[in-house]
Amino acid sequence: MANPLLADTPGEVLLLLGNEAIVRGALEGGIGFVSCYPGTPSSEVPDTFYRLSPQGDYIFEYSTNEKVALEVGAGAALAGLPTLVTMKHVGVNVAADPLLTLSYITAPGGLVLLSADDPGCHSSQNEQDNRYYARLAGLPCFEPATAQECKDMARDALHLAARTGQPVLLRTTTRVNHVRGPVKLGGLPKEKPSKPFERKLQQYVPIPAHSRVQHRQLLDRLAMFAQEASRSTWNKLSGAGEVGVLASGIARCYLSDALLEEGLHGSVKVLELGFTYPMPDELLLEFVQGLKKVLVLEELEPLMENHLRQLLQRGGIELEVFGKGETLPLWGEYSTEMVRQALRLTLGRQARAPEHCAPETGLANRPPNLCAGCSHRASYATVREVFGSEAYYSSDIGCYTLGLLPPLSSADFLVCMGSSISTGSGFATASGKPTVAFIGDSTFFHSGITGLVNAVYNNHNILVVVLDNRTTAMTGHQPHPGVDHTVLGPNERPIEIEPLVRACGVSNVVSVNPLNHKASKKALESMKDAMGPRVIIFQAPCVIHERRTAGKGKPQVAVVEGTGAGCLDVLNSLACPAFVKEGGTMRVDEELCSGCMFCLQLDKSFKAKKRGA
Amino acid sequence: MQRTRIFLTGVGGQGTLTATKLVSLTALDEGLPVTSGEIHGMAQRGGVVESTVLIGYLSPKITFGEADVLLGFELLEGLRALCYLKPGGRFIANSEALPPLSVATGKADYPALETVRAKAQAVASQALFLPCRTLAEQAGKAQSANTVLLGAACAVKALPFGMDALERSVRKYLKPALAEVNLKALELGAKAALA
Repeated sequence: MANPLLADTPGEVLLLLGNEAIVRGALEGGIGFVSCYPGTPSSEVPDTFYRLSPQGDYIFEYSTNEKVALEVGAGAALAGLPTLVTMKHVGVNVAADPLLTLSYITAPGGLVLLSADDPGCHSSQNEQDNRYYARLAGLPCFEPATAQECKDMARDALHLAARTGQPVLLRTTTRVNHVRGPVKLGGLPKEKPSKPFERKLQQYVPIPAHSRVQHRQLLDRLAMFAQEASRSTWNKLSGAGEVGVLASGIARCYLSDALLEEGLHGSVKVLELGFTYPMPDELLLEFVQGLKKVLVLEELEPLMENHLRQLLQRGGIELEVFGKGETLPLWGEYSTEMVRQALRLTLGRQARAPEHCAPETGLANRPPNLCAGCSHRASYATVREVFGSEAYYSSDIGCYTLGLLPPLSSADFLVCMGSSISTGSGFATASGKPTVAFIGDSTFFHSGITGLVNAVYNNHNILVVVLDNRTTAMTGHQPHPGVDHTVLGPNERPIEIEPLVRACGVSNVVSVNPLNHKASKKALESMKDAMGPRVIIFQAPCVIHERRTAGKGKPQVAVVEGTGAGCLDVLNSLACPAFVKEGGTMRVDEELCSGCMFCLQLDKSFKAKKRGA
Repeated sequence: MQRTRIFLTGVGGQGTLTATKLVSLTALDEGLPVTSGEIHGMAQRGGVVESTVLIGYLSPKITFGEADVLLGFELLEGLRALCYLKPGGRFIANSEALPPLSVATGKADYPALETVRAKAQAVASQALFLPCRTLAEQAGKAQSANTVLLGAACAVKALPFGMDALERSVRKYLKPALAEVNLKALELGAKAALA
């Protein structure tokens, strides 16, 4: 049976994740090309396209990083295909270079950039507000708030991009990407739109003489989009009264629920923006007419608020504006409760006292942990055994960041994707301390290679440990250039890391299985006192991914009935989730044990046995 | 229609998200305006999984003191999320522990069931604890512990639809091979809740 996302069944209602709804919307918008680099909370969009790609009428690729994804997408849109490029918010920083010029040269097939932001840092290193990129690059911006809107705005964004050539930003936040709600499907296009490329040097080759003109053309287009935004059905005026509320994104949902609970629906004037940039000045001026107070609801930065204040000042309009402050912070997420409080303050009502028990403190925490049998645990344990706290550990982004806590304590600093080699190089050179940089395989392909070339070029004294688990584990086991197999079949041209490292000019390179303790220790010791850039590639498949692809686990498990110092030392130094300590005795939970057999190599009290025996 | 907020919490691998999806799909099939949300960045790595199902609201988020119903698929996580429960709301939890690493390695303590019960009773109008994993094993598969909890919640009318609707969903949305075990799990959960 065809996947319901690919079926031309207009009117059907499906319960969809926001990210799945974006996929459907893109299909309804006539998508022809999708590129991405995965990253939470955006990943289900490309992963769904990927899974459906054998049946879908579009071209899909996981690119090596976000800059590459956008450049490939730009090429596809120049060639005339409606294109979607997806990434998480910090990925847009990587893609910013092509983005800021693409908006000058335009993409005639139509290009939509999905930026999935993460207020509250649910799974990110910062909570930057990528609505700034709409302003910086000059991109019309859509911000859905429900699953239905995810679908409809993805479609409309693609249509707008194809109609005008202007790249469009579809900006979501974690709550919206991971909302699940009913979505009424529209029809799928009968014919695929495509615009064959026409050579136009002045349009597509931004030498300075062309760029100066193009910047002005972009500003003209933005003025036109502002007018379009004032008439857009995504920007809705409702209610009446002397108090107004301006809201965008998920804050619109909180506002709707807060109005409901406060019994205020209809008695305040509401302007909801879905087409949020350029700001619809005509509509804003209509909205503020007759208002005495206005509350602005937007998570993170006060972008709408500042624009409104500027508009009021220019028009000499006296109006009290309630925005960012103690009740509505610049950080984190909003909530219905927060919006209720803000509404009450704006209306001069008494603040609501919280009615809930205090959050429990002192409970045992449950931080995410490296899985039982994860090869990163073995890598870290052996690195610590050889280097201890003498060395400084430059970390990177992936599952392996989870090794930061004791006892593995494998991260002293971390900046961004692909930074561990270069930041470690700078640290090593400036401090003169032994420095170890950890980097995953997908992250190495993403942007670690350039750092390694630099380390060779500048002869930085750094040990690079590539934690090669043969997949992009953290974001959901997406393939990357080095994998030999994907869910769609074998990778015909896997790129091996060791020859690549050698080609970068590193002569001191060893590949070793980290689950082989003796060989790993020997490799680390041989490199400990060496100088210059040197690389160990710890290669062992991700245990979850391997089990899933093989359809079964390893036949053996570890077993111990121990009270001895030896096995308790192993418990304390590995902190494997399969270890259980009851009283003074430890045992291995057979159900959790993956059978990696690393502990057997550390202490004789651990034995192997057949699973289930 | 009764507007309802349901907060679900558990540990990665317990089927909290499968249960969440089942509740949402059932609500949709019953014609209820449903919105659901999930936060599961690192669930696969033994972390906490929190999700929500809301009927009659637009927001997918629940904040402290807003949940009408709190479903704890794991006892400690149920206690951790107790502050989300509205005073007078209902708390239904698995009484069987899945100790976090710090407890398993002897570095922290796990709260006693009676402590959790007392704290829950101080907030909730009803606090119900069931040995979900044991009942699931009786049903035929330990993995159906999530369905046991749903059966219990449905039996005490904490979900916005009846047992017949939930049974239809189990047949419609779960793999055919798992349907019978999960129907049994619903039944055992319901029986234990009403005992």
